[in-house]
Order: sequence, then structure tokens, then C-alpha cells
Amino acid sequence: MDSLTLIIAEQDGSTTSQELLELVSFARMLPGGGNPTIVLVGTARKDRAEKTAATTGCPVLALTGDHLGLYNPEAFCDAVLEALGDTEPAWICLAHTSTGVDLAPRLAVNLGATCITAVEGISGTTLTRAVCAGRYCADFTPSTACTVVTVLPGAFPPLPASTDTAGPVEHRAVSPGPCRSRTLGIAENTHRDSSLKDAEVIVSAGRGVGTRENISMIRELAGVFPRAAVGASRPVCDLGWLGYAHQVGSTGQTVSPKLYIACGISGAIQHLAGMRGSQLIIAINADPDAAIFRFAHYGIVEDLTTFLPILLEELRGG
Amino acid sequence: MKILACVKQVPDSSDTMAITPEGSRVVPTAATVFRMNRYDEFALEEALLMKERIPGTEVHAVTVGPERAGSTLRRALETGADHGIHILTPEVAYLDPFAVASLIASWARTRDYDLILAGVMAEDDMEGQTGQLLAAILDLPCVTSVMEARVRPADNEIDLEREIEGGLRMSVLTRMPAVLTIQSGINTPRYPSLSHVLRARRQAFEVMAMDGPALPGPLSRCTGVRLPEISSQGVIIAGTPREKARELVRILHEHAFLA
Ligand SMILES: Cc1cc2nc3c(=O)[nH]c(=O)nc-3n(C[C@H](O)[C@H](O)[C@H](O)COP(=O)(O)OP(=O)(O)OC[C@H]3O[C@@H](n4cnc5c(N)ncnc54)[C@H](O)[C@@H]3O)c2cc1C
Ligand SMILES: Nc1ncnc2c1ncn2[C@@H]1O[C@H](COP(=O)(O)O)[C@@H](O)[C@H]1O
Repeated sequence: MDSLTLIIAEQDGSTTSQELLELVSFARMLPGGGNPTIVLVGTARKDRAEKTAATTGCPVLALTGDHLGLYNPEAFCDAVLEALGDTEPAWICLAHTSTGVDLAPRLAVNLGATCITAVEGISGTTLTRAVCAGRYCADFTPSTACTVVTVLPGAFPPLPASTDTAGPVEHRAVSPGPCRSRTLGIAENTHRDSSLKDAEVIVSAGRGVGTRENISMIRELAGVFPRAAVGASRPVCDLGWLGYAHQVGSTGQTVSPKLYIACGISGAIQHLAGMRGSQLIIAINADPDAAIFRFAHYGIVEDLTTFLPILLEELRGG
Repeated sequence: MKILACVKQVPDSSDTMAITPEGSRVVPTAATVFRMNRYDEFALEEALLMKERIPGTEVHAVTVGPERAGSTLRRALETGADHGIHILTPEVAYLDPFAVASLIASWARTRDYDLILAGVMAEDDMEGQTGQLLAAILDLPCVTSVMEARVRPADNEIDLEREIEGGLRMSVLTRMPAVLTIQSGINTPRYPSLSHVLRARRQAFEVMAMDGPALPGPLSRCTGVRLPEISSQGVIIAGTPREKARELVRILHEHAFLA
């Protein structure tokens, strides 16, 4: 393996083909990242390696071995380190998913590398990521020879899937050492349901609604539309103002209604991940620099506790 | 058992922060109020719940930060932590996560914690990696995004559920010592009780001053900060609140959302 740039993903599991294509297009923007090698870790599923080599044109190294069935941080880290041997990659890219952000720091420490997470922009060796609920973008420059990066899904255009020249595929068995943690299984979270699935309009409450009582204004606003539902950001559910069935986002539901009205929601990446696909986005927020306004088609900068009653009045009066 | 909870002080809301004139960092202003990172409130609460369930458990809280971070550590004591450690650093705007993890590791390395709990993410820098770095530096197992934790002290093991995408949960069994990063919603953080507040008032916490050569060199530098551009397609509706409401109603009619 002499590639300067590696992409690491699970054989099966959380990295989607779309995320892989986004990782390849990100990797190609890196200095010296023209021909990244994709390392797939997991149980032998030959079709995934071959398919990945075909759609990306990149060389693929598929690693199999003990404890690599379901994601396990220690085993996955060992597997990658063993495969690396003496090679010294300059960049190691993973998707910013539950797996990627779990594995990246462990790899970085073992390689003496910098770890930069949730990257959504790049210019030379400067990586851009959001801070403070997305209100600011910040640029980071690594000062080590190797940098491990997790790339925010949806931030880079996916490489168009090509079928002309498939990359070479190598399957290799590795032997990760004993692990102190064991992954026992994956199951559906029973607290979930999909109350938002069929809604054409979703009116969502964020922490900015301020109190449990103010949720009634959100319900009232939703009540104005036919086929509408009430959504929420994660903190609103954590606070018990609304049940988790209402949560929109990367760890809640992904929705794409015709209309999404975000009330008092800052627009953190994890929330955006769940509602970006909405056809029309209207945001009401007191902070003119809230990240949600970057994605909204219409924005209203107001305190919602005074604005929503006026809006409801106008809606009824009209 | 001995548990270390990592608590970070963060600005209460980011709209009181300002960008320095050179555009190199986000800094607090006179209007900035600080508080404990919310994910760390969940981590601290989880530690306190373990203390209630498992006799003889001690909970320590550690923070890395400037002088003002002491108030967040005090809050942890008021909430019920038995001991506080303030790793005091200069008021620099960006201490990279590796530096923070190295500092916490240097405290924890020789102190035989069975569990180290951190939040999944700090609300200001949003790195989401300090706990994992700490585990790797100390060569401990690490389980992230924990939504359920059942300690079995007799077996020296802990049963965990971690949250992954798509509404799924992953079950993990790990040996202790271990590092866990705690996800929001795992519990309901308590408020400080009067008795703890009174005790905390008398209680000193340990302060370890770290500056100059004692600070681990950062692996990355923050070279610039800015407000992101608002997408050109977006329209900010202007006017009085009443005018904005009318315009919004017009837009909703135009798009046929209203009958
Ligand atoms: C691994 C992980 C997974 C996550 N998954 C999700 C997820 O699935 N869904 C999700 O939503 N979050 C998720 N989060 C949390 C996410 O990072 C944010 O913390 C969360 O989305 C913020 O919610 P919010 O916008 O309601 O609150 P805040 O970020 O606190 O924003 C409140 C907003 O309200 C505004 N405001 C305040 N008062 C008023 C007022 N009176 N009138 C008008 N506006 C007002 C403020 O200006 C601010 O912009 C996840 C985080 C992690 C680490
Ligand atoms: N300065 C700090 N002091 C104490 N704990 C911290 C500090 N920075 C980060 N942490 C811990 O690491 C978690 C993740 O932070 P981060 O990786 O910065 O998003 C936080 O929720 C804290 O528990």
C-alpha cells in the first residue's frame, strides 16, 4: 500500500455507498489525494469490495478477521494498524458517523496523528468545520505528518459513480488482538415511532421555545395546516417537552415534507441532517446569525414568544 | 468504585460571543454567561446515579480551563461530586482536543479510576472526540454515545447501549476500567441540593496550574473563524412583526399551503 490517502469504512454497517462516494470526492481535494485507497473493514462480503472498486475506480483493500463482524473500536483500530504496517499515510478519511467519530481519535493517537472531526470544507491543508451550533465556521490546520479526518455526510458532492475502470481489489486477513469490549448486537430502539412520516407540513420546536407551555403555540401553528405534524429538536425531547417520536435529526427521524417551519432551532448539523431535504424551509429565530438561516428559504428574525401569537392571529384573520 | 466525570465550561449561548478583529478566534464578551456543557450534566448525573446504586463509590469531577472554569467545577461539587480537580490553563481561545485529553490523562493515569465519563460533545467546539482520545492515550476501552449503562461491579464489567444512526442501538459489554461518552437524554440531570451546596462552599478543589512548557503542544491550530454566508436563495423577511406575519401568510398562500 503506497497511497498517501486512505479512506476507511465498514464492509457493511453504517457507511452508505453515498457517503463513500462523498469521501472519495473529498479525498481527491486533499494535497496528494488523487488516488485514495479504500480500506473496508468487516466480515467477508466480496460483493461490497468489488462493487466499491467499480463505482469509485479506487483500489480497495478488504480486511477480514476476528471481532470484525459488528463494529468494535479496538478490533477495527488494530486491523487498520496491522494493514498499514510501515506505510505512512498523510490523510486518513472516515465518514462523520457514529462509527467514524468513534474510531478516528483512536487511530489518530496510535499514529501520532491529528484528528479533525465533522469537516465540511477544505482549501489546501486547511479544513473547515462548524462550531457553536453552526453559528461560526472555523479553519483548522494540522501540524502533524498524518491527519485523521471525519467528513460530514452531505457536505461534499458525491463522486459520480463510474463503471469504466474498476480499481484493483485485495482481500487480506488480519488478526486483531483480544478486545476488552465486545459488541453484542444491534437492535431497533423501541422508543421510536414514525409519527412524522406522512406529514406534508412539519412545524418543529427547538429549545428557543423556552418553556413546555409554549409548545402549545407550536401545536396551534401546526393545526392551521392540513396533514401537519409537530416535530422537535433533540433537546426539546430530552427536556420532556415532547416525546422522542417527534425528534428530527441524525439520531431522530429524517423527514422531507413540503414545508418545514423551524421555531427556535439553531440549525446544528445533527438537526439539519434530518430536515435538509424539505421542499420549503421557514425559520423563526431571534438570532440573525443562527445557522438555520443558511438553509432556510424564508427567515424571520423575531422572538417567537411574541411573534407566533401575531402570526396565529393573522392566519385566523386571513 | 472510583469515577471521574469530565466537565467543560461553555458559553451559555453563542450569540454573545464575538470574533476577534483579526478573525482568528471566537471569544467571550462582557455579555457572555458561562455554564456546564449540557452533555457533561448528563455524564455527571450518570456518575451520581452509579454512586447511589453502588456502595462505596466516589465521584471526582475534572475540568480543563481558565480561572472562570472553576465555577463549573464548583457546580459539579454542588450537584454531588465528592472531589474536584481544576487543570488550570491560560485563557487561550483554542486548546485542541488532544491537548485537553493529554492533560486529563496525566491526572487520571495513576489514580485508578474504574470509569471515566465524558460528554459526547462540547457544545462550543463540537469536536466530539475528547473522550475517545483520552481512552486511546490511556489505552482503555471506550464506548461512545451511551444511552444506557448497567455496571456489574462484581464482574468488573458494564453493559451498555450506544446510540447509532437510523434509530438503532448497539449493545456492548466492556471490562472496566473504561471511558464512556454519554449522550443526552440518558437521564434527567438533577439540580444542586442545599446540603451539597453548603458542603461545596466549604470544600476546596485541587488546582493544577498548567502553562508554558507544561502545556502539551497542540496538534492543530485554529487559523480563522467567520460567520458563514447565508445562502443566496434565502430571504430574510423585513418589517414590523405584524408586517412579517402578513408577508409569511401571503407566502404560505402563494405556495398553496393554506386553504
Ligand atoms: C451524536 C449527536 C446526535 C444528535 N442528534 C440530534 C438529532 O437527531 N436532532 C437534533 O435536533 N439534535 C441532535 N443533536 C443535538 C444538536 O447538536 C443540537 O444540540 C440541537 O439540535 C440543538 O437544538 P436546538 O436548536 O433546539 O437548541 P439550541 O442550539 O439551544 O438553539 C436554540 C435556538 O433558539 C433561538 N432562540 C432562543 N430564544 C428564542 C426566542 N425567544 N425566539 C426565537 N428564537 C429563540 C436561539 O437563538 C437558538 O438559535 C445531536 C448531537 C449529537 C452530539
Ligand atoms: N476543557 C475540558 N475540560 C473537561 N472536560 C472536557 C474539556 N473539553 C472536553 N471535555 C470532555 O470531552 C467531551 C467531548 O468534548 P469535545 O471533544 O471537545 O467535543 C466533553 O463533553 C467533556 O466531557
